[in-house]
Amino acid sequence: MGASRAADHNRTAHGERNVLAMSSPTLASGQDRAPDQAQAPRSGRLSAVEIDKSFLTNRVLKRVSLSLAPGEVHTLMGENGAGKSTLFRVLAGIHRPDAGAITLDATTLDLRNPHAAQAQGIYLVPQEPALMGELSVAENMYLGVLPTRGRLPGRVDWRSIRTRSQDSLRTLGLDIDVRDDARHLSIAQQQLVECAKALLRGCRIILFDEPTSPLTSREVGFLFGIIRRLRDEGYTLGFISHRMDEVMEISDRISVLRDGAVTDEVDRAGFDRSRLVSAMVGRTLSFDRKRTHRAASGRPVLTVRGLTHPSAFRAIDLDILPGEIVGFAGLIGAGRTEIAEAICGLRDKSAGSVVLNGQDITDASIPRIIEAGLVYVPEDRARHGAILPMSIRDNATAGQITRLQNPIGLLDRLREAEIAKQTLARFRVRARGPDQPMRELSGGNQQKIVFGKWMSTNPTVAILDEPTRGVDVGAKEDIYRLIEELSQSGMAIIVISSELEELIALCDRILAIYAGRITAELRGAEITAASVGAAFLGAGSTPA
Amino acid sequence: MSAATMDAAPQRRRPRREIREITLLVVTVAIILGVGIVKPGFMHYDNLEFMVLSAVVLGLIAIGQTFVIMTSGIDLSVSAVMGLSAVVFGLASTTVHLPLAAALPLCLILGTALGSVNGVLVAWVRIPPIIATLGTYSLFGGLTFIVSNGTQVDQVSNQFARFGNGDLIPHLPVPTPVLALAAVALLAWFVLNHMIFGRNILAIGNNASAAYNAGIPVKRTLLFVYMIAGALASFGGLVFVAYTGSATATTGTGDHVELQSIAIALIGGTLISGGRGNLAGTVIGSVFLSVVITALVFLHVPAIWYSAGEGLMILAAVTLGAKRGAAR
Repeated sequence: MGASRAADHNRTAHGERNVLAMSSPTLASGQDRAPDQAQAPRSGRLSAVEIDKSFLTNRVLKRVSLSLAPGEVHTLMGENGAGKSTLFRVLAGIHRPDAGAITLDATTLDLRNPHAAQAQGIYLVPQEPALMGELSVAENMYLGVLPTRGRLPGRVDWRSIRTRSQDSLRTLGLDIDVRDDARHLSIAQQQLVECAKALLRGCRIILFDEPTSPLTSREVGFLFGIIRRLRDEGYTLGFISHRMDEVMEISDRISVLRDGAVTDEVDRAGFDRSRLVSAMVGRTLSFDRKRTHRAASGRPVLTVRGLTHPSAFRAIDLDILPGEIVGFAGLIGAGRTEIAEAICGLRDKSAGSVVLNGQDITDASIPRIIEAGLVYVPEDRARHGAILPMSIRDNATAGQITRLQNPIGLLDRLREAEIAKQTLARFRVRARGPDQPMRELSGGNQQKIVFGKWMSTNPTVAILDEPTRGVDVGAKEDIYRLIEELSQSGMAIIVISSELEELIALCDRILAIYAGRITAELRGAEITAASVGAAFLGAGSTPA
Repeated sequence: MSAATMDAAPQRRRPRREIREITLLVVTVAIILGVGIVKPGFMHYDNLEFMVLSAVVLGLIAIGQTFVIMTSGIDLSVSAVMGLSAVVFGLASTTVHLPLAAALPLCLILGTALGSVNGVLVAWVRIPPIIATLGTYSLFGGLTFIVSNGTQVDQVSNQFARFGNGDLIPHLPVPTPVLALAAVALLAWFVLNHMIFGRNILAIGNNASAAYNAGIPVKRTLLFVYMIAGALASFGGLVFVAYTGSATATTGTGDHVELQSIAIALIGGTLISGGRGNLAGTVIGSVFLSVVITALVFLHVPAIWYSAGEGLMILAAVTLGAKRGAAR
């Protein structure tokens, strides 16, 4: 029965081109009783005009202008942190811009909240679908615009909700029982339900924020089928993806964002991988001192063999030499962080071995691994590193607090203060003094303290996950200098980064990680923007 | 073929939720029969009526509590509202001979007003519900002492007593307040399942910021929910003083009715994290708790153990709920 049903929907999904047009009355009828959508939203040219947006001191969008045309899939590309998601979230009413305007054709829109944006026909399919797990699929689709019936005001019309939502999912070729709780859906299904939500609300401008990253290639194909149909219907479509092949396949137009500004915009005729990569990376490196890529020598301090995790990565081999800076290049979700966590004992592995300074630490406890000389500085400072309400002094010494006891077992406050002062000086932290609370520092200075905390245990190998995420340019250079100093003192360092520039500038050797495997190794002169960029995007590498 | 891929994900049917209700009912009946064999007085009509009436009071309050918990909030002040209402209307009936017809709407107004304090604190002042209602618990409890001024209600008017103990239909042994609970429970069920307001409650409990983004009036809904909880707690206090004929400044708070109402909601299948509620479970759960407490009295278990027992029940209900969450 399953097979015949599937075949049935196959016909529905890939039947005549005008399937969606035929069903549009059904899709749009969901809103006829919704009070906030008196006028039917229309498709049109959605433009961001000189949008400026900062979060605290971090200026994410710098007078960005972007224009999405009806009947076009317009893709945003750019490194992590370039401002792509923020721009889409501004267009969808989630963030209010600090300056600039959003226009639909000739009208200037005032998008106070996402609901207001939806009333204008703008819908954002978020990176993480926000369906409500305890509610049925049908109710999720009508969330906030539940139709009513009868004389009693506010009485929910369940029957029409069920039939209309079921119909609209069928039109998209989805066989989901709408009475089922949303928490039973796979991510791909949730994403498509989000898409159906947009259609039910009559939205004609749909923005997809990196929809494909959790999907399998077949699911991507299915989603692209829907996106193409919408484009042919004249919908205005925005799209974000890091995967070059996908972007080339689906886009009609590509804009590249870099540090909160558009650096390039091309239409189909201008699609060219190297041009896009250089627009993403920038032609010049932002700091003056370009590193000479050294060839390190000596016996490996860290040896990893055949490290495997059934769902995240497999057959990882590494040899890290003393004083070497090795980069893990790859996209979020490629398995970089998972591999690092498995090496450091923070994550299970199904096979493989980890040897540090001749000591087998494959199954050692975390305190033993740190004792043996391996530290992992995680990406999310706020969650794993810095204790924001506490002072610099408390944060700087948190890693070695047990060693700071005086003879009667009390905390030696004097030595603690001394260490904190040393950290401030050594890592060039801009702060009033050791007693200033962490939360008053900038992201970069917080990161330096977190570094200091880990380095005070004198490791032989340090793994730094996105060491400059959320850090301003000046502090970035300090951190780079710091990393170099540590490596010159003989420490081996692994840097995990999504920023090409950072890897190129810092690393002696770069390992490209794609889909849980090491797909390329670059060293010395091979390290160029083009080669690393290609490795990043999984293009150019030959997947084994 | 791509359609087939999308269909491949497991399609689990919704679990049969009646299992919890049936289990609770069976356990309750088993306790009644079991204790009844050891202590025949347990099955006597007077005791059964007492258990039903105390279940009505608990049930009214627990329905309000269920609504609050569904928004992923909590209301610790319900016991203080119940006590204040019991003392105010008990005293009004003995001193100024307030007629029942006036007491009913007045008690709902009082409860709504007290509940709106919680609602404003939670929705607009943005104090976490547990702290806001802990504060008002103390505040309303203190008011009860001030109003009662140390005296206690010990003989309500006949009109009140008839409402509390009288039979709905002559010679049919169903006390009138049962009708009140049945009506409230049905109304609550209808609102929760068939009114936009009810669906908004669940949406907020699932994900308040996503609900806000979807255009749901989060603050107003929260305010109404705490008002409902206050009104039902106040109504519970009125029923309590009507059938027992007495009330003191520690009515409600002394028995930890706030914890009992939370325990009932959770035992009944409402998720402590919000977003899903079970009103039938709450009604049956209140009968269950009333029977358990009375059984403990009949079995001569010292009263000092009750509180510990309720605590165990809350922890057990939350643990089981958490297990379900983890199994997703």
